[in-house]
Amino acid sequence: MTSTDAYTSRLVLSHTRERTHALLVLGDYGAGAIVGAATAAGVRAAVSPTLDMVLAMLLGMAVGMVIHLLIALPLSPVLGTFHVMVPGSLIGMYGGMLFAMRDTMQHPPPTWNDTLLVGALFGLAVTAGVQLYDRALRGPAASGDC
Amino acid sequence: MGTTLQAKWDRASRTYDWITWGEERRFAAAKERLFAKMTGRCLMVAAGTGNDFRYFPPGLAVTAIDISPGMVERASRKAGHYDGQLDVQVMDVQALQFGDATFDAAVTSCTLCSVPDPIRGLRELYRCLKPGGRLLLFEHVRSRFGPIALLQDLMTPITRQIGPDMNRDTVANVLRAGFEVCWEENVYVDVVKAIEARRPG
Repeated sequence: MTSTDAYTSRLVLSHTRERTHALLVLGDYGAGAIVGAATAAGVRAAVSPTLDMVLAMLLGMAVGMVIHLLIALPLSPVLGTFHVMVPGSLIGMYGGMLFAMRDTMQHPPPTWNDTLLVGALFGLAVTAGVQLYDRALRGPAASGDC
Repeated sequence: MGTTLQAKWDRASRTYDWITWGEERRFAAAKERLFAKMTGRCLMVAAGTGNDFRYFPPGLAVTAIDISPGMVERASRKAGHYDGQLDVQVMDVQALQFGDATFDAAVTSCTLCSVPDPIRGLRELYRCLKPGGRLLLFEHVRSRFGPIALLQDLMTPITRQIGPDMNRDTVANVLRAGFEVCWEENVYVDVVKAIEARRPG
């Protein structure tokens, strides 16, 4: 292989990786919206407005974690386990608690459309937060003497 | 050698390439940068199905090991494509069958999350590396960010049944085994890391 061939091959590889990366990032947001909407719907179905708020929040957390795991299993091979698990588990656990709190406090309860929309927006916001956190942390973390 | 552990990873070997498709695309560039530092006679621990062989610089003499015969069978097929000398064997990192100070470099790729006693494994690597030898690790670790760390702790009892622990403090374990940490790089948040360590001497 000549040096020009090697350069061209590296360039093609780099373009392919950039395109794949952009698609995977889009997938991250899609996964966040799905986990958020599914968690909100699951919590809405599981939590009664008359339930004690503390119990509702614990139940919401558990429901969110289970839903996140069920969705993460088929998505992980495509998007990568860590990129699905980190935002997904934050959405499931903390979103589940928030949605449960809302569902015991808000009268009349939100419509199903609002529930799904707010869930999806929450998922998108958490995904964006994790992406920003990743950008802030990525790169050298520590260096020693050797 | 733990037969339960072997059975777990033999089962995983059937779907491993499919399950890690996304991760391979996410982490290819970081692995390439890390493994470019391999020199001389090298040991790869927990080779899996051999997906990482493509990132090795050409012309090296590499011995790759894995505890699972199923993984080794698949990795052996990919070893043939490597432009250098690459031998794949069934072996447990906690009981390496190599002499002291055999290797110039050792590499791991999401390995120490699955070794039952990671410090024992790291001490074996220390023994088999030459003084001044490099340990190159691509590992996922417990986050230092509380909300993520809590989730990793909660999920580990589940993930351990089918694969790795999610909450190991690998950098601390590397230090406990006697290595010096040269640098660490965050690859994804502070959960996935590339680390270079060195056996003093």
